[in-house]
Amino acid sequence: MDTISNDGKGYLEVAQIQQHYGGREVLNVPHLSLEKGKICALVGPNGAGKTTLMLILSLLLKPTSGRVYLHGTEVTAGNRRRFQKQISMLFQDPILFHTAVAGNVGYGLRIRHIEEKEREKRIRECLEMVGLAGFAGRKPGELSGGEAKRVAIARALAVSPELLLLDELTTNVDESNAQILESIVRSLSKDLKTTIVFSTHDRNQAYRLADEIITLLEGRITPFTPENIFRGKIIQHGEDTWFDTGRIRIFLPTKKDARVIYIDPKSIVLSLTPFDSSARNRLEGWIESVTANGDWVRLQVNTQEPIQVLITQKSFFELGLNIEKKVYITFKSAAVQVF
Amino acid sequence: MNADVFEVVLFTIKVSFWGTLLSGLVGVPLGFIIAIREFPGKGIVRTTLNTLMALPTVVVGLTVYAFISRQGPLGQWGLLFSPTAVVIGQCVLATPLITALTLSATQSVDPRVGLTARTLGANPGQEAFIILREARFALMAGIIAGFGRVIAEVGAAMMLGGNIRGYTRTMTTAIALESSKGEFGFGLALGFILMALALFINFLLGYFQGRK
Repeated sequence: MDTISNDGKGYLEVAQIQQHYGGREVLNVPHLSLEKGKICALVGPNGAGKTTLMLILSLLLKPTSGRVYLHGTEVTAGNRRRFQKQISMLFQDPILFHTAVAGNVGYGLRIRHIEEKEREKRIRECLEMVGLAGFAGRKPGELSGGEAKRVAIARALAVSPELLLLDELTTNVDESNAQILESIVRSLSKDLKTTIVFSTHDRNQAYRLADEIITLLEGRITPFTPENIFRGKIIQHGEDTWFDTGRIRIFLPTKKDARVIYIDPKSIVLSLTPFDSSARNRLEGWIESVTANGDWVRLQVNTQEPIQVLITQKSFFELGLNIEKKVYITFKSAAVQVF
Repeated sequence: MNADVFEVVLFTIKVSFWGTLLSGLVGVPLGFIIAIREFPGKGIVRTTLNTLMALPTVVVGLTVYAFISRQGPLGQWGLLFSPTAVVIGQCVLATPLITALTLSATQSVDPRVGLTARTLGANPGQEAFIILREARFALMAGIIAGFGRVIAEVGAAMMLGGNIRGYTRTMTTAIALESSKGEFGFGLALGFILMALALFINFLLGYFQGRK
């Protein structure tokens, strides 16, 4: 068993993690550290390795190679089960056991041989926490998708985990249940100091909830923010190289093969009229959403593909922008990074 | 009811119960382990089990006979033509069936059940228990199917029990004997009771299969 220097920040750390499936590398994380009590969002396109990383962090999956540390102590075959008791993971579509809600929420307590009276009290508390007081006697078949997800969260909470992993927090959940789930996550972190890692497709949700955002791309952590990542293929057109996402085409500075590209939202110029410039990429679209982000304003421009643009508040007001306004976005091919 | 009939019915239910119980004790854990473990030759094991499900009862009778007859390796235990021999035969008959049905019942449980239990702190035993509990209706159906198989079989009971009146006579062996003697009335009466039992068993089977 190995220990690493623990500066008190790294509640959970991984080092040199690699995961292979059938000889193919699906995850490669040289280092990752999570602080206790913080909320961390994992974002990235489908197949980026989010679920695999969460399974490794939950200790349900032993990586092909690499080490996981909890409280500075390396997780080994000998202590894995002990550490696992401090961690709960919720799958994208959590499954409820074929028993009443109370039986589900109380499962972790029952296998820990917690007395019935204490168990019932805890079940009540947890159901209240997720806004489902009075649901104890319901059967899984009588719940909506969102309610089932909340019951699964209550079940995970009942065992008071230090670390809670939520795979695709609000996928397949209606708007009102999604809001409830987000507020549960906030209060867990604030009131119970639970460390939370959740994966999401919703970038805005990641910004709303998380203290830290980790972007995964092709199994690797990238330093980029999660927006403007597109999958597609390279198309050669004479001397020119284009990247085709299936909806839009982007001019590239390189001939090298790529499956994923990233465009920095700060390097995109927004204008109300098309203007002449040396930039090779110009797209027309309309503003879909506006979010304040400190001194910056984040705009989502629909150009067949949604493209995120960051502009200063000053520019935002000067241009008189609002939702559904028609705009042009322009960026140099050098602003596009390829993977 | 005729005392003879009553005795035969009671004996049949008793040996079938023990035969099924022992098969369940072997077949359920075995089927579960085969289902959750990945190992080379798993497909062959599954095919073998499926073949053994349709094992002719006389072949079972013959094989067990070879083991427990006086010249057989277990001959000195004097088991031949005893109720124990009938139970052994029934156990050999029902075990592959219960194992195969447990295997498919376990595999039909969503793999997230075990993972969820583990992430809530379950140890391997507790994880196995929750998976089997989720499969409980299909498991019950498997055990009832095993009971149905042994209560209705005649070959093994005849060869291993010897159809001794008041000792190893089962409903099926009695029907065979009475019919060969021309006593159709007695045979028919037993036949009706057996049919009623089979109907009841199938009713139970349908009930559990409907609930899974």
